[in-house]
Amino acid sequence: MEGTIEKATKPSAEPGAAPGKAQRMLVLSGRYGTPAVLVLLLIGFTAASPQAFMTGQNLLNILNQSATLAIVAGGLTLPLVAGKFDLSFAAVVSLSGILAVGFLERSGLPWFAAVLLALAAASIIGLVNGLLVAYLRINPIVATLGTSTMLLGVNYAYSNGTPITLAPGPFTDIARASVLGIPAPIILTAIVLGGLWVALNFTLLGHHMQAVGTNQVAARMAGVRVARITVIAFAICALCAGLAGVVLAARIGSGQVTAGDGYLLNAFAAVFLGASVLRDGDFHILGTVVGVLIVTVTFNGLSLLGAQSYVQFLFQGGILVAATALSSTSRGMLLASVRH
Amino acid sequence: MTTATTAPGQAAPLVRVRGLTKSYGAIRALRGVDVSFRRGEIHGLVGANGAGKSTLIRCLAGLERPDAGDILVDGEIAHVHGPDDAARLGLAFIHQELNLVSSFTGAQNIMLGSHRGSMVTPRRFSGVPRAVLDAARRVGIDFPLDIPVSELTVHQQWLVTIARALVEDRALIAMDEPTASLDAQEAATLLKVARELAASGVAVVFISHRLDEVTAVCDRVTAFKDGSISLALPRAEITREAVVRAIVGHDVTPGAGATAFEVTEHPRVVLRLQDVGRGRSVREVSLTLHEGEVVGIAGLVGSGRTELARLIFGADRPDRGTMLLDGKPYRPRSIPHAIARGVAYVPEERRSEALFLTHSVEDNLHITVWDRWRMSKLLPLIRPRASRAAANHTCRTLGIKTADARRPVMSLSGGNQQKVVMGRWLATNPKILILDEPTRGVDVGARADIYDRIREANRSGSAVLVISSEFEELLECNRVLVMAEGRIVGELTGGEITVPNMLHLCYA
Repeated sequence: MEGTIEKATKPSAEPGAAPGKAQRMLVLSGRYGTPAVLVLLLIGFTAASPQAFMTGQNLLNILNQSATLAIVAGGLTLPLVAGKFDLSFAAVVSLSGILAVGFLERSGLPWFAAVLLALAAASIIGLVNGLLVAYLRINPIVATLGTSTMLLGVNYAYSNGTPITLAPGPFTDIARASVLGIPAPIILTAIVLGGLWVALNFTLLGHHMQAVGTNQVAARMAGVRVARITVIAFAICALCAGLAGVVLAARIGSGQVTAGDGYLLNAFAAVFLGASVLRDGDFHILGTVVGVLIVTVTFNGLSLLGAQSYVQFLFQGGILVAATALSSTSRGMLLASVRH
Repeated sequence: MTTATTAPGQAAPLVRVRGLTKSYGAIRALRGVDVSFRRGEIHGLVGANGAGKSTLIRCLAGLERPDAGDILVDGEIAHVHGPDDAARLGLAFIHQELNLVSSFTGAQNIMLGSHRGSMVTPRRFSGVPRAVLDAARRVGIDFPLDIPVSELTVHQQWLVTIARALVEDRALIAMDEPTASLDAQEAATLLKVARELAASGVAVVFISHRLDEVTAVCDRVTAFKDGSISLALPRAEITREAVVRAIVGHDVTPGAGATAFEVTEHPRVVLRLQDVGRGRSVREVSLTLHEGEVVGIAGLVGSGRTELARLIFGADRPDRGTMLLDGKPYRPRSIPHAIARGVAYVPEERRSEALFLTHSVEDNLHITVWDRWRMSKLLPLIRPRASRAAANHTCRTLGIKTADARRPVMSLSGGNQQKVVMGRWLATNPKILILDEPTRGVDVGARADIYDRIREANRSGSAVLVISSEFEELLECNRVLVMAEGRIVGELTGGEITVPNMLHLCYA
């Protein structure tokens, strides 16, 4: 089925066949290749700009920069775990920022009411995506592309195409406050990702979501409510995108139609980079965290080196292809050697 | 040839198979088969599932390489290494499924069967080419060929499939179960087409489980049993009894050894079906299942066994009839609803319908019962250690051979994988446990284990329905229901439960 994620069906290994040394190396390079890339990037940038890169301030800066991307990518991990693509989350990031700022500036709502309403709107978009995919059986790529395009229209209509700006106040403090020297966005990200990690690994919902993504027919035959799980996955993804949109709007002090655009590719890059971390091609939250760090460290390090933006794109795209190729080829070679 | 019946004047065989042997691992699918197909003859191939008919056809079609033996076409050894070679030799095949492009018109689908020219030779994709018209006329197509085949009936689609096999002059056409999805009227038309083909000099190979068709239409019948030919008869000697005997391997007297066993008062009725049906696949099935009973459902592939199980499990909805579970009306809206009422189903297709291959044994075992390790009502978290300990315990009690329940289930052998699926459902303490082909692809040792588990479930009060094509396995059941063409065509109890009796009912 198009728009859903096909995992390579792996032939069953001979039970009891002890893996050889070469095979073990392959497995290790597949599983630890991506984390190794992160470590190499850190070492490389430290060597290239020792004064600027490996400083406490810059590392905190990297984490702070990763916060919104991490929340978005963490949310995106759920539909991908359930085997469905979501292309609408970037538009949701923009929408929730515009709505939160708009409710504050135009409707004069208190900041927490504006934030809650923006998050509610984002969740509704996710529910709609889920319903379209689960009950109307629309291909997820097409369904979310459709909602994404409609959201773009809504965003332009509400903002008239110009950024809605606002003065610093309690809302912008969301991005600027800090607790014990740790910026609030980092704490928020840690809470969100921790919650998603627990939900995916230690709840019925998470186990069922993984089952749906691995084998939807078997999940149905085992009594998993596939449609409900799918709707929840899309809803959480959109809620996370909404949260990231609020944090982003608070940081830049405005709501903009294009604010979320950059997240589409970066979040997919991060989640797919993460799928090769430690596990063999399954999407998971810890992997997504590593993926987000790789993406952010690359941008941060290259801009410290004064590289032009085209270099950043070349570099980042190259890392995505190389890291996922490393993991999939090593897995393929491993399987080929097991078959003999 | 084993039987030297080649009378003088009879044409030399078009295709002759000599000593064909083919093994899949330890299974010997064909053991030195000799058979000849003649022009102008309808040659019937019969035999139980797995007897070797389809393997023979697959070898002829170039889909399998035989281990030994020759295929001779017009007396010369032919090397059939792929479907292209078969087409070049004038052999055409109609496989069990309809392989049509549903958005193409009938004419376009028929043209797909033409192997003339190269990939880039221009082809007319509009209108109805002459070759197509000829083929269509031969099979008696009287419906438009310029509309998408999706708008045709199943029977018309079959005629398109057959016309596709005829678009070039073919010397031999093999049809594998062509009537399986047709009703009596449609099947009769198809048989007429087969006769006309034979009359025009084509060699027709006809595979069917319906013995009345075989005895009615075939000029020669070859019966397969366990990879060998157990009977080869010319038309005059074809009788139903002879064919059944050849399929089963020994004499069949209906009801032989039947010592009508006094049915002692049965415990409670768990499930009662009254005239339950769905489309053409399940037709007016009525059955009663008692507590603590093991009931077998025997039947050939396509007899509606799996479809019936899916109705009971809530995977499909019946469109007629009523079901009672524990005396209360039972209309499962969904699978979770059926599970909540105590129904469990181990599907036939283990890898595609039951297992999460890359997930751990623990995940696969606990998918139905995760809530059991929930920390508390308020906190929906699963205690991982408790779950893992329980999974390891289950592995020991069910004899699932794995070092650790954290290992991926794909690292297990087929038998152990099947035990995992069974364990998943035994954990729910089902009132009704339905097992669909529980020992398919499972080695002998695991087979015994699986039957031990069935007995245990039964002792603890589950009513068990076992669906199987391997009738020997059903001998231990308390009762056996035989299904054919969507209906329950017979019930065997006590001493009546014998393999010949089951086969006899299947082919009745």
